[in-house]
Amino acid sequence: MTFSDECKKAILDGNIELAENLARKVVNGKMEVNEAIDSFSLAIREAGDLFEEGEFFLPELMRSAEAMKAAMTIIHPLLQEGKEERFLGKVVIGTIEGDIHDIGKTLVASMLSAEGFEVFDLGADVPVESFIEKAIEVNANLICISALLTTTMVGQKRLIDLLKERGLRDKFKVLIGGAPISKTWVEEIGADGSAENAVSAVKLAKKVLEI
Amino acid sequence: MNTKKPILNLVKERIVLLDGAMGSVLIDLGLEPGTPPESWNVTYPEKIQGIHLGYFNAGSDAILTNTFGGSGMKLAAHKHGNNVEKYNKKAVELAKAICPENCYVAGDMGPSGAFLPPVGKVTVDDFYNNYLEQAGYLADAGVDFFFIETMVDLKEAEAAVKAAKSISNKPIFASITYQLTKRGYFTIMGDTVPECVKTLEKAGANIIGANCTIGSKEMVDLIALISTETKLPILAKPNAGKPILQSGKTVYPTSVKDFTEDISKIIDKGANVVGGCCGTNPEYILAMRKLRGD
Repeated sequence: MTFSDECKKAILDGNIELAENLARKVVNGKMEVNEAIDSFSLAIREAGDLFEEGEFFLPELMRSAEAMKAAMTIIHPLLQEGKEERFLGKVVIGTIEGDIHDIGKTLVASMLSAEGFEVFDLGADVPVESFIEKAIEVNANLICISALLTTTMVGQKRLIDLLKERGLRDKFKVLIGGAPISKTWVEEIGADGSAENAVSAVKLAKKVLEI
Repeated sequence: MNTKKPILNLVKERIVLLDGAMGSVLIDLGLEPGTPPESWNVTYPEKIQGIHLGYFNAGSDAILTNTFGGSGMKLAAHKHGNNVEKYNKKAVELAKAICPENCYVAGDMGPSGAFLPPVGKVTVDDFYNNYLEQAGYLADAGVDFFFIETMVDLKEAEAAVKAAKSISNKPIFASITYQLTKRGYFTIMGDTVPECVKTLEKAGANIIGANCTIGSKEMVDLIALISTETKLPILAKPNAGKPILQSGKTVYPTSVKDFTEDISKIIDKGANVVGGCCGTNPEYILAMRKLRGD
Protein backbone atom coordinates (compact mmCIF):
# COMPACT_ATOMS: atom_id res chain seq x y z
CA MET A 1 0.00 0.00 0.00
CA THR A 2 1.41 3.41 -0.94
CA PHE A 3 1.71 6.21 1.59
CA SER A 4 -1.12 7.97 -0.14
CA ASP A 5 -3.36 4.89 0.07
CA GLU A 6 -2.56 4.55 3.75
CA CYS A 7 -3.49 8.17 4.34
CA LYS A 8 -6.74 7.59 2.55
CA LYS A 9 -7.47 4.56 4.69
CA ALA A 10 -6.62 6.39 7.91
CA ILE A 11 -8.83 9.36 7.09
CA LEU A 12 -11.80 7.51 5.61
CA ASP A 13 -11.80 5.02 8.49
CA GLY A 14 -11.39 7.86 10.96
CA ASN A 15 -8.39 5.99 12.35
CA ILE A 16 -6.58 8.56 14.51
CA GLU A 17 -3.74 6.23 15.50
CA LEU A 18 -2.90 5.33 11.92
CA ALA A 19 -3.15 8.98 10.86
CA GLU A 20 -0.72 9.94 13.63
CA ASN A 21 1.71 7.18 12.70
CA LEU A 22 1.70 8.34 9.10
CA ALA A 23 2.21 11.94 10.14
CA ARG A 24 5.22 10.90 12.24
CA LYS A 25 6.89 9.61 9.09
CA VAL A 26 7.15 13.24 8.07
CA VAL A 27 8.63 14.20 11.42
CA ASN A 28 11.14 11.35 11.09
CA GLY A 29 12.12 12.56 7.66
CA LYS A 30 10.80 9.47 5.93
CA MET A 31 8.28 11.42 3.99
CA GLU A 32 8.41 14.84 2.36
CA VAL A 33 6.12 17.29 4.08
CA ASN A 34 4.29 18.68 1.08
CA GLU A 35 3.73 15.25 -0.37
CA ALA A 36 2.29 14.07 2.92
CA ILE A 37 -0.04 17.04 3.18
CA ASP A 38 -1.20 16.45 -0.38
CA SER A 39 -2.01 12.83 0.44
CA PHE A 40 -3.94 13.77 3.56
CA SER A 41 -5.75 16.59 1.75
CA LEU A 42 -6.81 14.26 -1.01
CA ALA A 43 -8.18 11.86 1.58
CA ILE A 44 -10.18 14.45 3.51
CA ARG A 45 -11.56 15.78 0.25
CA GLU A 46 -12.74 12.30 -0.59
CA ALA A 47 -14.45 12.10 2.82
CA GLY A 48 -16.17 15.36 1.91
CA ASP A 49 -17.25 14.01 -1.45
CA LEU A 50 -18.68 10.91 0.22
CA PHE A 51 -20.61 13.20 2.58
CA GLU A 52 -22.03 15.14 -0.35
CA GLU A 53 -22.97 11.89 -2.07
CA GLY A 54 -24.89 10.63 0.96
CA GLU A 55 -22.41 7.81 1.58
CA PHE A 56 -20.98 9.46 4.69
CA PHE A 57 -23.04 11.06 7.44
CA LEU A 58 -22.19 13.38 10.29
CA PRO A 59 -20.42 10.81 12.50
CA GLU A 60 -18.23 9.49 9.66
CA LEU A 61 -17.30 12.97 8.51
CA MET A 62 -16.49 14.05 12.05
CA ARG A 63 -14.30 10.97 12.56
CA SER A 64 -12.46 11.70 9.32
CA ALA A 65 -11.98 15.31 10.34
CA GLU A 66 -10.69 14.24 13.76
CA ALA A 67 -8.15 11.87 12.18
CA MET A 68 -7.08 14.61 9.77
CA LYS A 69 -6.75 17.07 12.62
CA ALA A 70 -4.59 14.59 14.56
CA ALA A 71 -2.25 14.23 11.59
CA MET A 72 -2.06 17.96 10.94
CA THR A 73 -1.34 18.67 14.60
CA ILE A 74 1.84 16.63 14.20
CA ILE A 75 2.78 18.06 10.81
CA HIS A 76 1.87 21.67 11.57
CA PRO A 77 4.92 22.56 13.74
CA LEU A 78 7.21 21.54 10.87
CA LEU A 79 5.53 24.08 8.65
CA GLN A 80 6.07 26.84 11.16
CA GLU A 81 9.74 25.97 11.34
CA GLY A 82 10.27 27.65 8.06
CA LYS A 83 8.34 25.96 5.32
CA GLU A 84 5.74 28.65 5.53
CA GLU A 85 4.46 28.16 2.02
CA ARG A 86 1.96 25.53 3.19
CA PHE A 87 0.66 27.56 6.07
CA LEU A 88 -2.94 28.19 5.15
CA GLY A 89 -3.93 30.94 7.55
CA LYS A 90 -5.82 31.77 10.72
CA VAL A 91 -9.57 31.55 11.00
CA VAL A 92 -11.86 32.96 13.68
CA ILE A 93 -15.18 31.15 13.58
CA GLY A 94 -18.39 31.18 15.61
CA THR A 95 -22.17 31.20 15.61
CA ILE A 96 -23.54 34.71 15.94
CA GLU A 97 -25.11 36.03 19.14
CA GLY A 98 -28.66 34.94 19.81
CA ASP A 99 -28.14 31.70 17.93
CA ILE A 100 -27.19 28.50 19.73
CA HIS A 101 -27.02 26.22 16.70
CA ASP A 102 -23.44 25.18 16.38
CA ILE A 103 -23.26 21.88 14.57
CA GLY A 104 -22.77 23.37 11.09
CA LYS A 105 -20.19 25.77 12.45
CA THR A 106 -18.35 23.02 14.33
CA LEU A 107 -18.24 20.92 11.20
CA VAL A 108 -16.79 23.78 9.16
CA ALA A 109 -14.26 24.46 11.94
CA SER A 110 -13.21 20.79 11.97
CA MET A 111 -12.84 20.66 8.21
CA LEU A 112 -10.84 23.90 8.09
CA SER A 113 -8.62 22.72 10.87
CA ALA A 114 -8.26 19.33 9.19
CA GLU A 115 -7.15 21.04 6.00
CA GLY A 116 -4.43 22.91 7.86
CA PHE A 117 -5.91 26.22 8.91
CA GLU A 118 -5.32 27.42 12.42
CA VAL A 119 -8.86 27.66 13.74
CA PHE A 120 -10.11 29.68 16.69
CA ASP A 121 -13.60 28.37 17.40
CA LEU A 122 -15.47 30.81 19.64
CA GLY A 123 -18.51 28.52 20.00
CA ALA A 124 -22.13 29.60 19.73
CA ASP A 125 -24.00 32.75 20.77
CA VAL A 126 -20.90 34.88 20.16
CA PRO A 127 -21.23 38.68 20.39
CA VAL A 128 -20.17 40.65 17.30
CA GLU A 129 -17.48 42.40 19.34
CA SER A 130 -15.89 39.09 20.37
CA PHE A 131 -15.38 38.04 16.75
CA ILE A 132 -13.56 41.27 16.00
CA GLU A 133 -11.49 41.29 19.20
CA LYS A 134 -10.31 37.74 18.58
CA ALA A 135 -9.58 38.39 14.91
CA ILE A 136 -7.39 41.35 15.83
CA GLU A 137 -5.73 39.48 18.71
CA VAL A 138 -4.63 36.52 16.59
CA ASN A 139 -4.16 38.52 13.42
CA ALA A 140 -6.68 36.35 11.56
CA ASN A 141 -6.99 36.08 7.81
CA LEU A 142 -10.56 34.95 7.83
CA ILE A 143 -13.68 35.43 9.92
CA CYS A 144 -16.47 32.87 9.52
CA ILE A 145 -19.88 33.70 10.94
CA SER A 146 -22.64 31.14 11.20
CA ALA A 147 -26.34 31.90 11.64
CA LEU A 148 -29.04 29.28 11.39
CA LEU A 149 -31.97 31.57 11.98
CA THR A 150 -33.33 34.29 9.75
CA THR A 151 -33.60 36.41 12.88
CA THR A 152 -29.93 36.09 13.75
CA MET A 153 -28.60 36.55 10.21
CA VAL A 154 -28.73 40.29 10.76
CA GLY A 155 -25.83 39.79 13.16
CA GLN A 156 -23.68 38.88 10.15
CA LYS A 157 -24.50 42.24 8.62
CA ARG A 158 -23.83 44.02 11.91
CA LEU A 159 -20.39 42.45 12.13
CA ILE A 160 -19.45 43.53 8.61
CA ASP A 161 -20.84 47.02 9.21
CA LEU A 162 -18.78 47.29 12.38
CA LEU A 163 -15.63 46.20 10.54
CA LYS A 164 -16.29 48.91 7.95
CA GLU A 165 -16.94 51.52 10.63
CA ARG A 166 -13.60 50.78 12.26
CA GLY A 167 -11.76 50.70 8.97
CA LEU A 168 -10.98 47.00 9.42
CA ARG A 169 -13.01 45.54 6.58
CA ASP A 170 -10.01 45.08 4.29
CA LYS A 171 -8.00 43.38 7.01
CA PHE A 172 -10.11 40.19 7.07
CA LYS A 173 -12.01 38.10 4.57
CA VAL A 174 -15.47 37.34 5.87
CA LEU A 175 -17.41 34.17 5.02
CA ILE A 176 -20.93 33.57 6.21
CA GLY A 177 -22.87 30.35 6.57
CA GLY A 178 -26.15 28.85 7.74
CA ALA A 179 -29.35 27.41 6.35
CA PRO A 180 -31.04 30.67 5.33
CA ILE A 181 -27.99 32.23 3.67
CA SER A 182 -28.30 33.04 -0.04
CA LYS A 183 -26.11 34.70 -2.66
CA THR A 184 -28.32 37.79 -2.44
CA TRP A 185 -27.67 38.08 1.28
CA VAL A 186 -23.92 37.72 0.73
CA GLU A 187 -24.02 40.60 -1.75
CA GLU A 188 -26.43 42.67 0.31
CA ILE A 189 -24.19 42.72 3.38
CA GLY A 190 -20.90 42.71 1.49
CA ALA A 191 -19.48 39.39 2.69
CA ASP A 192 -16.77 37.60 0.72
CA GLY A 193 -18.82 34.49 0.18
CA SER A 194 -20.81 31.59 1.56
CA ALA A 195 -20.73 27.88 0.86
CA GLU A 196 -23.36 25.16 0.65
CA ASN A 197 -21.64 22.87 3.12
CA ALA A 198 -18.50 22.27 5.15
CA VAL A 199 -16.60 20.77 2.24
CA SER A 200 -17.30 23.66 -0.10
CA ALA A 201 -16.51 26.01 2.78
CA VAL A 202 -12.92 24.78 2.83
CA LYS A 203 -12.61 25.23 -0.93
CA LEU A 204 -14.07 28.71 -0.64
CA ALA A 205 -11.78 29.67 2.24
CA LYS A 206 -8.78 28.75 0.12
CA LYS A 207 -10.20 30.59 -2.86
CA VAL A 208 -10.83 33.89 -1.07
CA LEU A 209 -7.37 33.74 0.51
CA GLU A 210 -5.91 32.91 -2.89
CA ILE A 211 -4.25 29.73 -1.68
CA MET B 1 -67.70 15.32 32.19
CA ASN B 2 -65.17 14.87 29.45
CA THR B 3 -66.21 11.99 27.21
CA LYS B 4 -63.60 12.25 24.49
CA LYS B 5 -62.25 8.96 23.27
CA PRO B 6 -58.58 8.04 23.57
CA ILE B 7 -56.58 9.53 20.69
CA LEU B 8 -55.41 6.09 19.57
CA ASN B 9 -59.03 5.03 19.06
CA LEU B 10 -59.74 8.12 17.01
CA VAL B 11 -56.70 7.39 14.84
CA LYS B 12 -58.22 3.99 14.02
CA GLU B 13 -61.48 5.60 12.93
CA ARG B 14 -60.40 8.49 10.76
CA ILE B 15 -57.59 10.80 9.69
CA VAL B 16 -56.46 12.90 12.65
CA LEU B 17 -55.41 16.50 11.99
CA LEU B 18 -52.53 17.97 13.94
CA ASP B 19 -51.57 21.65 13.95
CA GLY B 20 -49.16 23.63 11.79
CA ALA B 21 -46.02 25.57 12.66
CA MET B 22 -45.35 27.21 16.01
CA GLY B 23 -41.75 28.44 15.77
CA SER B 24 -41.97 30.26 12.46
CA VAL B 25 -45.25 31.88 13.61
CA LEU B 26 -43.61 33.11 16.83
CA ILE B 27 -40.82 34.69 14.81
CA ASP B 28 -43.44 36.48 12.70
CA LEU B 29 -44.99 37.73 15.94
CA GLY B 30 -41.68 39.26 17.01
CA LEU B 31 -39.80 36.57 18.94
CA GLU B 32 -36.28 37.94 19.30
CA PRO B 33 -33.20 35.88 18.49
CA GLY B 34 -31.73 34.32 21.60
CA THR B 35 -35.06 34.19 23.39
CA PRO B 36 -36.27 30.63 23.88
CA PRO B 37 -39.80 30.36 22.41
CA GLU B 38 -40.91 28.55 25.59
CA SER B 39 -40.34 31.70 27.65
CA TRP B 40 -43.34 33.20 25.87
CA ASN B 41 -45.55 30.74 27.75
CA VAL B 42 -44.89 33.01 30.71
CA THR B 43 -44.32 36.42 29.11
CA TYR B 44 -46.91 36.33 26.31
CA PRO B 45 -49.38 33.58 27.25
CA GLU B 46 -52.17 35.18 25.23
CA LYS B 47 -50.09 35.00 22.03
CA ILE B 48 -49.39 31.30 22.53
CA GLN B 49 -53.06 30.64 23.22
CA GLY B 50 -53.97 32.67 20.14
CA ILE B 51 -51.82 30.40 17.98
CA HIS B 52 -53.34 27.24 19.47
CA LEU B 53 -56.83 28.64 19.05
CA GLY B 54 -56.12 29.50 15.42
CA TYR B 55 -55.32 25.85 14.78
CA PHE B 56 -58.26 24.46 16.75
CA ASN B 57 -60.58 26.82 14.87
CA ALA B 58 -59.09 25.72 11.58
CA GLY B 59 -59.85 22.10 12.42
CA SER B 60 -56.88 20.61 14.26
CA ASP B 61 -57.89 17.64 16.40
CA ALA B 62 -54.74 18.05 18.44
CA ILE B 63 -52.21 20.80 19.02
CA LEU B 64 -48.65 20.57 20.30
CA THR B 65 -47.69 22.52 23.40
CA ASN B 66 -45.10 25.27 23.02
CA THR B 67 -42.41 23.10 24.56
CA PHE B 68 -40.36 21.99 21.53
CA GLY B 69 -37.17 23.36 23.09
CA GLY B 70 -38.40 22.97 26.65
CA SER B 71 -36.02 20.24 27.79
CA GLY B 72 -33.37 21.00 30.37
CA MET B 73 -30.45 20.62 27.96
CA LYS B 74 -31.96 22.88 25.34
CA LEU B 75 -33.09 25.56 27.78
CA ALA B 76 -29.70 25.50 29.48
CA ALA B 77 -28.10 26.40 26.14
CA HIS B 78 -30.29 29.51 26.21
CA LYS B 79 -29.37 30.12 29.86
CA HIS B 80 -32.95 29.37 30.89
CA GLY B 81 -32.10 26.00 32.43
CA ASN B 82 -33.87 26.77 35.69
CA ASN B 83 -37.24 27.21 34.03
CA VAL B 84 -37.95 23.71 32.76
CA GLU B 85 -40.81 23.06 35.18
CA LYS B 86 -42.29 26.53 34.84
CA TYR B 87 -42.28 26.67 31.03
CA ASN B 88 -43.56 23.14 30.52
CA LYS B 89 -46.36 23.27 33.09
CA LYS B 90 -47.46 26.69 31.90
CA ALA B 91 -47.48 25.54 28.27
CA VAL B 92 -49.84 22.66 29.07
CA GLU B 93 -52.02 24.86 31.23
CA LEU B 94 -52.39 27.42 28.41
CA ALA B 95 -53.26 24.79 25.82
CA LYS B 96 -55.73 22.93 28.04
CA ALA B 97 -57.53 26.12 28.95
CA ILE B 98 -58.60 26.71 25.37
CA CYS B 99 -58.74 23.12 24.11
CA PRO B 100 -62.23 22.24 22.80
CA GLU B 101 -63.97 19.34 24.50
CA ASN B 102 -63.27 16.72 21.84
CA CYS B 103 -59.76 17.84 21.01
CA TYR B 104 -56.35 16.93 22.40
CA VAL B 105 -53.23 18.52 23.81
CA ALA B 106 -49.92 16.88 22.92
CA GLY B 107 -46.83 17.42 25.05
CA ASP B 108 -44.19 18.41 22.51
CA MET B 109 -40.55 17.40 22.95
CA GLY B 110 -37.92 18.38 20.38
CA PRO B 111 -34.20 17.61 20.18
CA SER B 112 -31.81 18.56 22.98
CA GLY B 113 -29.41 20.26 20.58
CA ALA B 114 -26.58 18.11 21.91
CA PHE B 115 -24.86 15.21 20.17
CA LEU B 116 -23.26 11.91 20.99
CA PRO B 117 -19.58 11.40 20.13
CA PRO B 118 -17.88 11.85 17.74
CA VAL B 119 -20.05 14.87 16.90
CA GLY B 120 -20.65 16.00 20.48
CA LYS B 121 -19.91 14.94 24.03
CA VAL B 122 -23.15 13.82 25.66
CA THR B 123 -24.26 10.27 26.45
CA VAL B 124 -27.46 8.30 25.84
CA ASP B 125 -28.10 8.56 29.60
CA ASP B 126 -27.93 12.35 29.33
CA PHE B 127 -30.62 12.19 26.66
CA TYR B 128 -32.75 9.86 28.74
CA ASN B 129 -32.60 12.03 31.86
CA ASN B 130 -33.23 15.13 29.79
CA TYR B 131 -36.53 13.77 28.50
CA LEU B 132 -37.43 12.06 31.73
CA GLU B 133 -37.55 15.46 33.39
CA GLN B 134 -39.52 17.18 30.64
CA ALA B 135 -41.95 14.30 30.09
CA GLY B 136 -42.59 14.23 33.82
CA TYR B 137 -43.70 17.85 33.91
CA LEU B 138 -45.79 17.45 30.77
CA ALA B 139 -47.50 14.35 32.16
CA ASP B 140 -48.14 15.97 35.54
CA ALA B 141 -49.70 18.95 33.84
CA GLY B 142 -52.09 16.64 32.02
CA VAL B 143 -51.17 16.27 28.34
CA ASP B 144 -53.22 13.70 26.40
CA PHE B 145 -50.19 12.23 24.68
CA PHE B 146 -46.50 12.84 24.01
CA PHE B 147 -45.20 14.15 20.72
CA ILE B 148 -41.48 13.49 20.26
CA GLU B 149 -40.42 15.19 17.05
CA THR B 150 -37.77 16.52 14.68
CA MET B 151 -35.30 14.00 16.02
CA VAL B 152 -32.04 14.05 14.07
CA ASP B 153 -30.50 11.11 15.88
CA LEU B 154 -32.34 7.82 16.34
CA LYS B 155 -30.52 7.15 19.61
CA GLU B 156 -31.83 10.41 21.03
CA ALA B 157 -35.36 9.64 19.81
CA GLU B 158 -35.18 6.19 21.34
CA ALA B 159 -34.05 7.61 24.68
CA ALA B 160 -36.90 10.11 24.61
CA VAL B 161 -39.51 7.43 23.88
CA LYS B 162 -38.16 5.18 26.63
CA ALA B 163 -38.09 8.06 29.11
CA ALA B 164 -41.70 9.05 28.38
CA LYS B 165 -42.77 5.43 28.52
CA SER B 166 -41.10 4.89 31.89
CA ILE B 167 -43.10 7.57 33.68
CA SER B 168 -46.47 7.51 31.98
CA ASN B 169 -48.86 5.26 30.10
CA LYS B 170 -49.99 8.06 27.79
CA PRO B 171 -49.61 7.37 24.06
CA ILE B 172 -46.31 8.32 22.44
CA PHE B 173 -46.02 9.73 18.94
CA ALA B 174 -42.43 9.63 17.69
CA SER B 175 -41.30 11.53 14.63
CA ILE B 176 -37.88 11.57 12.99
CA THR B 177 -36.58 14.27 10.67
CA TYR B 178 -35.08 12.75 7.53
CA GLN B 179 -33.09 14.34 4.76
CA LEU B 180 -33.33 13.14 1.20
CA THR B 181 -29.89 12.19 -0.11
CA LYS B 182 -28.88 10.75 -3.46
CA ARG B 183 -29.18 7.34 -1.81
CA GLY B 184 -32.57 7.91 -0.24
CA TYR B 185 -33.91 9.01 3.14
CA PHE B 186 -31.58 9.15 6.15
CA THR B 187 -31.18 11.13 9.36
CA ILE B 188 -28.09 13.35 9.39
CA MET B 189 -26.51 10.69 11.59
CA GLY B 190 -27.06 8.09 8.88
CA ASP B 191 -29.96 6.17 10.43
CA THR B 192 -32.10 4.45 7.80
CA VAL B 193 -35.90 4.39 7.69
CA PRO B 194 -36.19 0.68 8.62
CA GLU B 195 -33.78 1.16 11.55
CA CYS B 196 -35.75 4.14 12.84
CA VAL B 197 -39.11 2.43 12.52
CA LYS B 198 -37.96 -0.80 14.11
CA THR B 199 -36.16 0.90 17.00
CA LEU B 200 -38.96 3.32 17.86
CA GLU B 201 -41.53 0.56 17.68
CA LYS B 202 -39.49 -1.58 20.05
CA ALA B 203 -38.94 1.37 22.40
CA GLY B 204 -42.69 1.65 22.79
CA ALA B 205 -43.90 4.36 20.42
CA ASN B 206 -47.57 4.04 19.48
CA ILE B 207 -47.41 6.10 16.32
CA ILE B 208 -44.34 6.60 14.15
CA GLY B 209 -43.59 9.11 11.45
CA ALA B 210 -41.64 12.00 10.02
CA ASN B 211 -41.62 15.78 10.19
CA CYS B 212 -39.65 18.89 9.22
CA THR B 213 -36.53 19.25 7.00
CA ILE B 214 -38.23 18.04 3.85
CA GLY B 215 -41.29 19.48 2.14
CA SER B 216 -44.63 17.83 1.51
CA LYS B 217 -43.64 16.71 -1.98
CA GLU B 218 -40.56 14.81 -0.80
CA MET B 219 -42.52 13.28 2.06
CA VAL B 220 -44.87 11.26 -0.15
CA ASP B 221 -42.34 8.53 -0.97
CA LEU B 222 -40.95 8.61 2.58
CA ILE B 223 -44.35 7.79 4.07
CA ALA B 224 -44.77 4.99 1.53
CA LEU B 225 -41.46 3.59 2.71
CA ILE B 226 -42.37 3.88 6.40
CA SER B 227 -45.67 2.13 5.76
CA THR B 228 -43.90 -0.91 4.38
CA GLU B 229 -41.93 -1.15 7.63
CA THR B 230 -44.64 -0.96 10.27
CA LYS B 231 -48.21 -1.82 11.08
CA LEU B 232 -48.46 1.05 13.54
CA PRO B 233 -50.36 4.20 12.52
CA ILE B 234 -48.15 6.75 10.74
CA LEU B 235 -47.83 10.50 11.21
CA ALA B 236 -46.57 13.10 8.72
CA LYS B 237 -45.87 16.76 9.42
CA PRO B 238 -43.88 18.15 6.47
CA ASN B 239 -42.61 21.68 5.87
CA ALA B 240 -44.22 23.94 3.29
CA GLY B 241 -41.23 23.31 1.02
CA LYS B 242 -37.60 24.33 1.39
CA PRO B 243 -37.25 27.88 2.72
CA ILE B 244 -35.97 30.61 0.43
CA LEU B 245 -34.92 34.08 1.39
CA GLN B 246 -36.76 36.97 -0.24
CA SER B 247 -35.63 40.50 0.62
CA GLY B 248 -34.35 39.42 4.01
CA LYS B 249 -37.41 37.38 4.92
CA THR B 250 -37.75 33.59 5.00
CA VAL B 251 -40.43 32.30 2.68
CA TYR B 252 -41.70 28.73 2.51
CA PRO B 253 -42.67 28.31 -1.13
CA THR B 254 -45.28 25.52 -1.14
CA SER B 255 -48.80 26.92 -1.57
CA VAL B 256 -51.77 25.76 0.48
CA LYS B 257 -53.18 24.05 -2.61
CA ASP B 258 -50.00 22.13 -3.50
CA PHE B 259 -49.39 21.21 0.14
CA THR B 260 -52.90 19.85 0.52
CA GLU B 261 -52.58 17.81 -2.66
CA ASP B 262 -49.34 16.32 -1.33
CA ILE B 263 -50.96 15.55 2.01
CA SER B 264 -53.73 13.75 0.15
CA LYS B 265 -51.08 11.55 -1.51
CA ILE B 266 -49.34 11.10 1.86
CA ILE B 267 -52.61 9.78 3.27
CA ASP B 268 -52.99 7.44 0.28
CA LYS B 269 -49.51 6.10 1.06
CA GLY B 270 -50.53 5.23 4.58
CA ALA B 271 -50.46 8.23 6.92
CA ASN B 272 -53.23 8.40 9.52
CA VAL B 273 -52.15 11.53 11.37
CA VAL B 274 -51.21 14.65 9.41
CA GLY B 275 -50.29 18.26 10.03
CA GLY B 276 -47.79 20.89 8.96
CA CYS B 277 -44.36 21.91 10.15
CA CYS B 278 -42.28 25.04 9.33
CA GLY B 279 -43.98 27.54 7.05
CA THR B 280 -47.51 26.26 7.56
CA ASN B 281 -50.30 28.15 9.33
CA PRO B 282 -54.03 27.73 10.09
CA GLU B 283 -54.88 28.22 6.39
CA TYR B 284 -53.06 24.99 5.58
CA ILE B 285 -54.95 23.13 8.30
CA LEU B 286 -58.26 24.57 7.13
CA ALA B 287 -57.59 23.33 3.60
CA MET B 288 -56.60 19.90 4.91
CA ARG B 289 -59.85 19.59 6.82
CA LYS B 290 -61.73 18.10 3.90
CA LEU B 291 -59.19 15.27 3.73
CA ARG B 292 -60.45 14.15 7.12
CA GLY B 293 -63.81 13.43 5.53
CA ASP B 294 -66.03 15.78 7.50
